[in-house]
Amino acid sequence: MHARARTSCRLGPNAWPNFMTDVAALDPPPLPPVPLPPLPAPPIGGPPPLPGMMRFLGSEGAYWQLRIRGAALLLVTLGIYRFWLMTDVRRFLWSNTEIAGETLEYDGLATELLVGFLFAIAILIPIYAGIAMATLAFELPDFASALGGLALFVVFGAFARYRARRYRLTRTVFRGLRFHQDGSGWLYALFAILWWSLIIVSFGLAYPWAQASLQRYMMRHTSYGKLPGRFDGSGWRLFVRGLPLWLVSLGPLLAAGGFAVSQIDWQALGSVDSDGSLKIDFAGPLGAEALIGFAVGGLGLSVLFAILLYPVFQAIVYRWWLSGLRFGDIAVTSRLRIGRVYVIYLRYVGFVFLFMIAAGAAGGLLFGAFFALLSAVQISTHQIPGRELIGAGVGLLVYAAFALVLAAMHQVLVTFGLWRAAAQSAEISNAPILDTIEAKAGLSSALGEGLVDALGFGSV
Amino acid sequence: MSTAPEMPAAPAPPPRGEAFYFDGITSKRHDVIVEAAASALRIIDDSQSHVVDAWNYADLRARSSPEGVMRLGRRGEVALARLEVRDAALAAAIDERAPALDRGGAADRRLRQRVVVLSLAAIASVVLTAVFGMPVLANKITPIIPLRIEKKFGEAIDRQVRTMLDAERSSEAFLCGAGAGEAPGRKALDKVVQDLEQTAHAPYHFHVEVVRQPVTNAFALPGGHIYVYDGLLKKSETAHELAGVIAHEMGHVVHRDGTRTVLESAGLSFLFGMMLGDFVGGGAVVIAAKTILSSSYSRHAEAAADRYSVELMQKAGGDPKALGAILSRIAADKDEGFELLRDHPETKNRIAAINAVSTEGRPQPLLSGAEWKALKAICAALPDSGASDNQAKSPDPSKPPTRAKPAPQAKP
Repeated sequence: MHARARTSCRLGPNAWPNFMTDVAALDPPPLPPVPLPPLPAPPIGGPPPLPGMMRFLGSEGAYWQLRIRGAALLLVTLGIYRFWLMTDVRRFLWSNTEIAGETLEYDGLATELLVGFLFAIAILIPIYAGIAMATLAFELPDFASALGGLALFVVFGAFARYRARRYRLTRTVFRGLRFHQDGSGWLYALFAILWWSLIIVSFGLAYPWAQASLQRYMMRHTSYGKLPGRFDGSGWRLFVRGLPLWLVSLGPLLAAGGFAVSQIDWQALGSVDSDGSLKIDFAGPLGAEALIGFAVGGLGLSVLFAILLYPVFQAIVYRWWLSGLRFGDIAVTSRLRIGRVYVIYLRYVGFVFLFMIAAGAAGGLLFGAFFALLSAVQISTHQIPGRELIGAGVGLLVYAAFALVLAAMHQVLVTFGLWRAAAQSAEISNAPILDTIEAKAGLSSALGEGLVDALGFGSV
Repeated sequence: MSTAPEMPAAPAPPPRGEAFYFDGITSKRHDVIVEAAASALRIIDDSQSHVVDAWNYADLRARSSPEGVMRLGRRGEVALARLEVRDAALAAAIDERAPALDRGGAADRRLRQRVVVLSLAAIASVVLTAVFGMPVLANKITPIIPLRIEKKFGEAIDRQVRTMLDAERSSEAFLCGAGAGEAPGRKALDKVVQDLEQTAHAPYHFHVEVVRQPVTNAFALPGGHIYVYDGLLKKSETAHELAGVIAHEMGHVVHRDGTRTVLESAGLSFLFGMMLGDFVGGGAVVIAAKTILSSSYSRHAEAAADRYSVELMQKAGGDPKALGAILSRIAADKDEGFELLRDHPETKNRIAAINAVSTEGRPQPLLSGAEWKALKAICAALPDSGASDNQAKSPDPSKPPTRAKPAPQAKP
């Protein structure tokens, strides 16, 4: 932690690598040019850090420990432990996030999450039963009930995320005051669904304005104590920064698809040859195979670019989002570097790769040892009573353990990594205001969290 | 109670040190001196002029904090007053005096153990509910399901069952009776079914199909769909035997055994799905169809269906004991081929029960000789797998051991 903080100080804004400038040129006005002396990170109990600085204090090792132990307990309890794990994780992340010398505090309880989940189940069961009954009673086709279920899933999902945010904010304590959120979860769900429909229709081009609008709604209804929040990020700004990414990743697909469509002989398409079969030479002079080839190639290139550019996208969105957060006169700025996000993902890919190899090797060795043991004691597998049941059980266990370890790796290397990077990249202005804010009363229930859990959106 | 010491230099015995204090009313950070006095934790203003607050040790609670910081709040607090102690010696002294603080994590470990134990208890409880509670619940709910709904439900399952049956043999039509030369057999089958249905006066319309597979089995779906495998048809020597089997399946329909089974399995998947957090899991109909295809009913349900068959056959003028005859033939075959040891004594009991309730009487022929012959040949395309025409008393070595599906128990 010590060394890491020092590193990030050394690579301050003046030391940005040049390849960043294309994006950095579009950054919000640079920070007041306070010359940052190359301080070592002050240890806890030592002199307080620079006013307004954000840091992350926790070590990755501690988080690994938390997640791996959590995965083991999830396995043993068939997932019931998730409420306690989630609470432990949040305690860790919150209390290690330091803003202007003070850390956050998470004071939610696992039992609240459990109750919220049970509450959500109690709401969802009659709804799903009702859909099933209506399908049978009114002779609806199967897809209608599937569609109805999906619609409910989407609406409840958006509602739940808004309410879950409210729960998390009211359980977040900073300097003896809570954060708060009001506003309507249903209204938010309506906005979210409308915006996401627009995003889909516009091939993603509406994303910046959707994010800006939804963030504005959320932050307008957020406050720290009595200090109201707002969101100042502009959709245009994000659009301008993200447009190159959009062009590069969707360009090949659109170009190839557009070219293919332009080559199609629309009059020939669908008409019938003299022998009664469908005309197949509608594809113009190049032929259908060539067009399909171009389209597939375009799609492949698009997917490749999208994967390669995803960390850039995330870095841009995170930085834009953090830099748009406001509480009264307090503004957040973020200097999250794209390279940092790439390192996070490369480490994750490397870890997954190594884990796969290690798991394969371990599995092979155990398999071999098992059969060697069997032949040593001269038992054939057919003689083991209940062998099918045991086999299925072991298979299920191995699968679950494998999935849990992979999930833990993603949590530690990506989710935690991004959290830490985002926290370390950020800084707040007007930190002295933090001494003057008054408390406001009010908590919220964990229903939203329960719905999020019951509907299967995992998050931190 | 006691007043603050007048001089900071006084050698006060209680440990003290610097700390940050937030009063929970504003976000201002106060630099304070904390004194771990014997009676309470005293928070003294930086200038040491007055005591800001005194917290009882019993009320102290640890709040989430980074390594090396002790963050204290109080039980039942309304304003979130916080004390942050970074002085290790002072933190240790406070920890010693406050029983509810858990610096070593012992209480945390206890809690974790309790969660694990309670979770295991919950799992055990769910399993017990699944094994004992679900059947009772399904028994209670099944009779109150409206007939209309049950029929719709049966249609949904029927579509699924058809795709499953179809997937196994794609070369020919999986149902018999529609192909070339199969129409007379279909006509004969319809005659038998119509006879039974008219006699039964049940609120169901029965659709009976013969499946082109050499399995000796038959099954019924909720709402009136009945499937008889060709293997069973080949095994039956008289129309009475086939009719007895069909009447038995009608009994399952009328008693709603299939509906009950599906309710049970849906309840189970719901129960476990909920616990594992995967709650929206689709494909309930698939699960239901698979359940029907692969599960056998309880002994009780089978006996009830047997009695229904006997009564229906008697009313229709058929031979009620024919069901027992074909059951024993199937069971004899199974004994040779499989290790389904359980089946045999059960079948014996069933046959004895069938014979006990059957009244003696001269059965009337259900079909003419020609009609029965046509019915036997309803699956023209299937090579004759059973030696049924010349008395299938000998084991049938040509019968392949059926797929993973455990269906061919003596369900009829």
